[in-house]
Amino acid sequence: MTALPPAMPASVALKKPGRERLSREQVEQFGADLDALRERTLADIGEQDARYIKRIYAAVRYTGALGRGLLFFGIFPPAWLLGTLLLAISKILENMELGHNVMHGQYDWMNDPRFDGKTYEWDIVGTSDNWRKTHNYSHHTYTNIKGMDDDVGYGVLRLFPEQRWRPFFLGQPLYAVIFALLFQWGVAIQDIRLGRYFAGRMTGAELREEFRPTGRKMRRQLLKDYVFFPLLAGPFFLPVLLGNLVANGLRNLWTFMIIFCGHFTANVEVFPKSIIKNETRGQWYLRQLRGSSNLTGSKLLHIMSGNLSHQIEHHLFPDIPARRYAEMSKEVRAICRRYGIFYNTGSLVSQFGQVIWRILRYALPSKPVSLEGKALVAD
Amino acid sequence: MPATGALKRVIAPLIDPVAFDFWAARVNPLLSWERPLARVVARQVTARDCVTLVLRPNRHVPPVQAGQHVPVTVEVDGVRLTRSYSPSHVRASHARRRGGRKDCLAITVKRIPGGRVSSHLCQEVRVGDVLELGEAFGAMTLRPDVPRWLYVAAGSGITPLMSLLRAQTAATAGVDVTLLYWARTRADLCFLDELRGLEKAAGSGQPGVRVHIILTREATLLPGEYSGRPSADLLAQLVPDLAERQVYACGTGGFVDSLRTLLADQVAGFEAEAFTLPERAAVVGAPVQVTLRRSGRVLDIPAGEALLPALEARGIHPKHGCRMGICNSCACDRISGTSENLNTGATQSEPGVVRICISAARSDMTLDL
Ligand SMILES: Cc1cc2nc3c(=O)[nH]c(=O)nc-3n(C[C@H](O)[C@H](O)[C@H](O)COP(=O)(O)OP(=O)(O)OC[C@H]3O[C@@H](n4cnc5c(N)ncnc54)[C@H](O)[C@@H]3O)c2cc1C
Repeated sequence: MTALPPAMPASVALKKPGRERLSREQVEQFGADLDALRERTLADIGEQDARYIKRIYAAVRYTGALGRGLLFFGIFPPAWLLGTLLLAISKILENMELGHNVMHGQYDWMNDPRFDGKTYEWDIVGTSDNWRKTHNYSHHTYTNIKGMDDDVGYGVLRLFPEQRWRPFFLGQPLYAVIFALLFQWGVAIQDIRLGRYFAGRMTGAELREEFRPTGRKMRRQLLKDYVFFPLLAGPFFLPVLLGNLVANGLRNLWTFMIIFCGHFTANVEVFPKSIIKNETRGQWYLRQLRGSSNLTGSKLLHIMSGNLSHQIEHHLFPDIPARRYAEMSKEVRAICRRYGIFYNTGSLVSQFGQVIWRILRYALPSKPVSLEGKALVAD
Repeated sequence: MPATGALKRVIAPLIDPVAFDFWAARVNPLLSWERPLARVVARQVTARDCVTLVLRPNRHVPPVQAGQHVPVTVEVDGVRLTRSYSPSHVRASHARRRGGRKDCLAITVKRIPGGRVSSHLCQEVRVGDVLELGEAFGAMTLRPDVPRWLYVAAGSGITPLMSLLRAQTAATAGVDVTLLYWARTRADLCFLDELRGLEKAAGSGQPGVRVHIILTREATLLPGEYSGRPSADLLAQLVPDLAERQVYACGTGGFVDSLRTLLADQVAGFEAEAFTLPERAAVVGAPVQVTLRRSGRVLDIPAGEALLPALEARGIHPKHGCRMGICNSCACDRISGTSENLNTGATQSEPGVVRICISAARSDMTLDL
């Protein structure tokens, strides 16, 4: 007699491999396995993680100082190029491996005000407070739920057939390029929801009030990169300004690419609002997994992406120091294999190619796909 | 040199204090934009398992009076931990020196087996290391109006009393202090030679300093040593003029409590400081008091109940997000008390960040809300 896996009747098997619906018990067991991995990892967290994040902080400072220093000699093209690159690296490291991860509370256990998730302020035009709300809360709690996770297309892109097509989306290849170049500005205004203002559900005064902290942050960032440091350079004002502009732009492009690879590759799914009704911990884990995708690559790629190359592990364990994800991913994969769950990973080229494909494909009309009744468990 | 006064105020908006400290520490580890730091300039073993660290504070360390205690923060296994220590010596000086003040503070630390901070300070810290200090607290300070003193110390409770004695004997001649100093064995006594020296300096017939050593675990006693726990008989025998003396007592919670019972209404005044807080893990369901520091509210909440819904049920609506411990929106500082992580069952008494949606109080607690 051949033993069939208990809860995968052929009738509910979907087309894609690894997308068979599991039984409730299986999903809870899956969750318990991930919880066990979480506990094991937490028990080991300590001195080496503290040393690591301090080293990252030092790397941010050194690359930043070196980059800005070289830009003062920016009329020599090699100095300008190297300076701009180093400054971009510094900003990327600060935004991703330091800022993003610290703001998730990954290092709160250190009790160190420098790495305190609720007070950390990062080096981009958006305020950390808005980020903690749109990202830590909305995006991480309601990952890939259409209508609840603003990160699904950021309100300007159609990336899934489940989103209704409108003629506006025909221009999205262009919007995507602009969005990528100005990514930090998109992040900055994400929480302000200009839509509500244009729909007349918010007065101009309310909008101004809501915008005030963001405006202050934007001013500070602009003054720093485009007035203060260029002025310090005196006659070399222009090369410094340009270097800062390009460094900010490079950071924007890089973060856009990494973040889009985390949630908009071909095999990532979106979910209906109904999915969170009575959602159990196991189901929450499963939704995070099926709404995220990883990047394979070198250690350098992992560090420069703030370990968001392990987007899956980040979504399963957002508060565990990200440097642990690489190690955890081996076990997460093994757990997925055990339950026949698809683990979405690939090279940067392949994953980003799939993102571009989505941007192009769903600019055009497609057969509407309904999310109604979509569930993660077989009843 | 960090900027001073007016200049500092002008450039403050341009400065990221963390970045400033990062670069400043490369020049001199005591330099900081605003953090109170102190460098260890000397280290002596004072008694068994007991180490005295002499500290040179930087300009941000607020003044300390003899008899007070200061929070000392160290990093142990990547975690910053803060404990109070009463300096055993305070020497103030207003002259500034490069990167610091001339003041000296000495802390005397008794190593507690398994104790994280005391073990670190006694075993790991070396001359040249930098510790972070905080604002000094404590009302057991010098009082020129009191003519006669009774100091009572147990173990490391000698420290604040020692700094008081040192300050008093350095300033005036006619002090009248009796010190009762409890320890387990002779090897556990700190500052014994210095104390005997102070005693002799007074000369016979003068009030001066009188020191009585009481050892609870020493097999054979030398002349001038006593044994036994605090008792009415022993106190009456060693201090015939009890009723005229103001008492400062310092030691573990139990020691201080028993002295309070014995002495409080026998003496001219009684003040005490306990070095260990009594253990207070409340059973699930028992009411505990949760104090919200910023709003000043105090609430009774059953121990073991998740804090966020408990606060909401009492009309308080703290910032929150996912309600399941992942988004960190409800993270707030637990200033004191023991909390339980309801997901893992782990308890935590170290002041630090707590996510109130998945945490319960297991003792009286103060939150930064
Ligand atoms: C106002 C004040 C002043 C103080 N001044 C001094 C001082 O001058 N010198 C000094 O050495 N200490 C002093 N202490 C005690 C000090 O703050 C720490 O509590 C002590 O060093 C233990 O910390 P730890 O991190 O090593 O132990 P923890 O890791 O916090 O504790 C480990 C275990 O030891 C127990 N424990 C903690 N303290 C003691 C103790 N004193 N005796 C027995 N068991 C204990 C705890 O309950 C726990 O079970 C003072 C405390 C207070 C409140």
